[in-house]
Amino acid sequence: MGLSPLSQDPKDINSSIGQQPLTGVRVLDLSGPMGVYCGKLMADMGADVIKIEPPGGDPMREIGPFAPDGVHPESSLHWLHFNTNKRSITLDIADPQGAGLLSRISRQAGVVLETFPPGYLDTLGLSYSHLSQGNPGLIYASLTPFGQTGPYKNFKATDLTGFAMGGYMYVTGRPDTPPTRLWGYQAYHTTSNRAFIAILLALYHRMTTGEGQYIDVSMQEAVAATTEHVNTVYNYTGEPAVRCGFRHGGQFVATWRCKDGFVSITTNTQQAWDDLRDWMAREGMAGDLSSEKFNDRFILRGELSEHIEGLIQAWALTHTRQEITEWGQSRHHPWGPAVRPDEILDNEQLWERGYFIESEALHPGENMVYPGAPYNLSQSPWQLRHPAPQVGQHNQEIYCGDLGLPVEELDALSSQGVI
Amino acid sequence: MSAVEKPSNSGFALQDIRVLDFTWIHAGPSATRILADQGAEVIKVESNNALAVVGGPSSATARGLGQRHNWNAGKRSISLDMKTPQGVAIAKRLVAVSDVVAENFSGRVMTGWGMDYESIRRVKPDLVMLSMSGFGRTGPWKDRVSYGQTLQAWSGFTELTGFPNTDPCGPASAYSDAVGGMAGAQAVLLALIHRARTGQGQWIDLSQFEVLSSLLDTLVLDLSANGADSHNQRTGNRPPHASVAPHGAYRCQGDDRWVAISVLTENEWESLTGAMGHPPWAQDERFATASGRSHHSEELDALLETWTTEHSAEGVMHLLQDAGIPAGVVQTGADLAENDPHLKERGFFRQILDGQGISRTIEGAPYKLSRTPGGPSRGAPEFGADQTYVLREILGMSDEELADCAIAGVFE
Repeated sequence: MGLSPLSQDPKDINSSIGQQPLTGVRVLDLSGPMGVYCGKLMADMGADVIKIEPPGGDPMREIGPFAPDGVHPESSLHWLHFNTNKRSITLDIADPQGAGLLSRISRQAGVVLETFPPGYLDTLGLSYSHLSQGNPGLIYASLTPFGQTGPYKNFKATDLTGFAMGGYMYVTGRPDTPPTRLWGYQAYHTTSNRAFIAILLALYHRMTTGEGQYIDVSMQEAVAATTEHVNTVYNYTGEPAVRCGFRHGGQFVATWRCKDGFVSITTNTQQAWDDLRDWMAREGMAGDLSSEKFNDRFILRGELSEHIEGLIQAWALTHTRQEITEWGQSRHHPWGPAVRPDEILDNEQLWERGYFIESEALHPGENMVYPGAPYNLSQSPWQLRHPAPQVGQHNQEIYCGDLGLPVEELDALSSQGVI
Repeated sequence: MSAVEKPSNSGFALQDIRVLDFTWIHAGPSATRILADQGAEVIKVESNNALAVVGGPSSATARGLGQRHNWNAGKRSISLDMKTPQGVAIAKRLVAVSDVVAENFSGRVMTGWGMDYESIRRVKPDLVMLSMSGFGRTGPWKDRVSYGQTLQAWSGFTELTGFPNTDPCGPASAYSDAVGGMAGAQAVLLALIHRARTGQGQWIDLSQFEVLSSLLDTLVLDLSANGADSHNQRTGNRPPHASVAPHGAYRCQGDDRWVAISVLTENEWESLTGAMGHPPWAQDERFATASGRSHHSEELDALLETWTTEHSAEGVMHLLQDAGIPAGVVQTGADLAENDPHLKERGFFRQILDGQGISRTIEGAPYKLSRTPGGPSRGAPEFGADQTYVLREILGMSDEELADCAIAGVFE
């Protein structure tokens, strides 16, 4: 049945040397904002990810910021970032003809990725049980706010409310501010990150058994499994964790205002705490911190925390981010500057390691830098092969080339608004 | 949705995989827990003579104890002092019968033991080795020291998280370690797939800083393309680069109770005003359009809160969900564990017996795979609980060998 991605066929094994880990895996990406990063992760690792856009283009193309040449569907940086290495076809899957076409395309696919409300694709004849009938190796991943089962399965959610229901929001922020989300769309990305793991597990299982499977990913659970401490604190102390502002879970990790911004100082060891107090004392700013009663670094969590914080804060204001960072790092303490968003591209470590990808070839005449690989695999690496596709850029290639649709039929479907 | 087929014979995807796990603290153990949940045999190598903690989060505090159980469920543990030559020799024998080696030490540690990738691939040519570190194993910052919070500061996440009119707060916990753990599991699985296709092993150089940086959405593209015209700043609970309101957390009845409400469309705004019973303030012409609501979001938030504070967070959530509006309780740890009927029905939390037979609560996987549901097969191991299984059954060491090693302090 067309491609047999990741089969055990020895011919496949020989042909895949030097390729990316997911080369040959075809993915139908029907996802919205919650899953688009999962599609990118697969595409950047070599999969042939086909983004299915509604005719006229994916609504994601309306999300800014935009490239300097103006606001239009091909200039959304949001689109360009999250759809690298993908191909695009347009298709109205709610139209019966469109659903039929998707069903045909899926026979050549190894993975379907979707984020529709539970049950919606079933009404179109595009559920897992429909599509896996002629394609038993199919892996079908559904990413939804609350999963496919349970009393809240039909609840709506966005990144914000997913963050809230998953328990991460209550603890983020200051005690005197409302609970706070993480910047960006981290609840969506966490769902995508978790889904990618599940899909890779399913791909590995398929290589050893030939079996496909259905994957149900819940954003709420994805967030709940990512908080580090919310669940363990409650389950092992009986008290819920609370918002601690600039302090990490109320511990000895904190962000201080300094001369030119903010700096993270961690007194994770006795040595770090002693070094910090010594430095402050040498500058006459340690107050009574040098006295014995402050020797235990865990005192930062206790009743005297406000007093200690006042002294550290007053001292930190007399130094720059760089001074504090270098002094701490030279003593092997994990201290570092809070980098401002406009300074991100100044990072010498990221440039030196080749993390940033300058893509003159991809965007001639434009000064565009892409973020690079989340991790480096020595033999089968991440690659930026081509930029995000234009609306329906691969319609002809896929409908006529792969499916064998006559050009006239493609034209007819286009004029009917199906494609 | 779909017919769910029966689980596969095994119910696990990674039953043929063995992982030798040197990782500690958070990111590493959470990566290998993901593999253990799918049947990989994960052997933690720990030592009383190692740094402050025995190969995992410290169990000195309740929180540390919880993390030890949460991130090490399903694993085995051996105690092995890698500062002894016999300890290193045993570790290398284990490498030879393993598929994956995982570590998140500072750069010099594995090399110091002769356990760097180039050395141990001689023992096992198709080995997959995962090296996790703060900044990566190359480049001018490779020896810099970092905690999750350090990386969050350095990446920009700290400056970006919080409200525009307050100091930055940053993520409450080590988001960096959590995403590092997910990325570590992804990288190992990708390498195992590559190995199955080509027979080739490889080394994974995972910089948690790069993992975190890759989650900064359009920041890099925007800075490079738009330079000084790019506007990336803290937006509190409102999405970056979008003019929508109301969109935030709103105080409800009770002590520090909140509901998150996210209104993105005109329909949702109309449904919201209807659900509130059409209060007069909602008819204010300032709020008639999306841009008006966004422009006057502070006044709007304050007025909306006069309504939410009269209700329970759960009440607002249900009322608004019935009207088709994304709304959710800002849940606490207690809500997740005790009050959320949905998580309960889905079985997110699991009870599992630890080595002493005590029932421990741990998180389950946030995905359900129909054929390979997986799940931890046992609780987190006691320190050194599996000496016999690992040394006798896997390596076939004799009584004499074991006695010699014990006398030499190899198992401390």
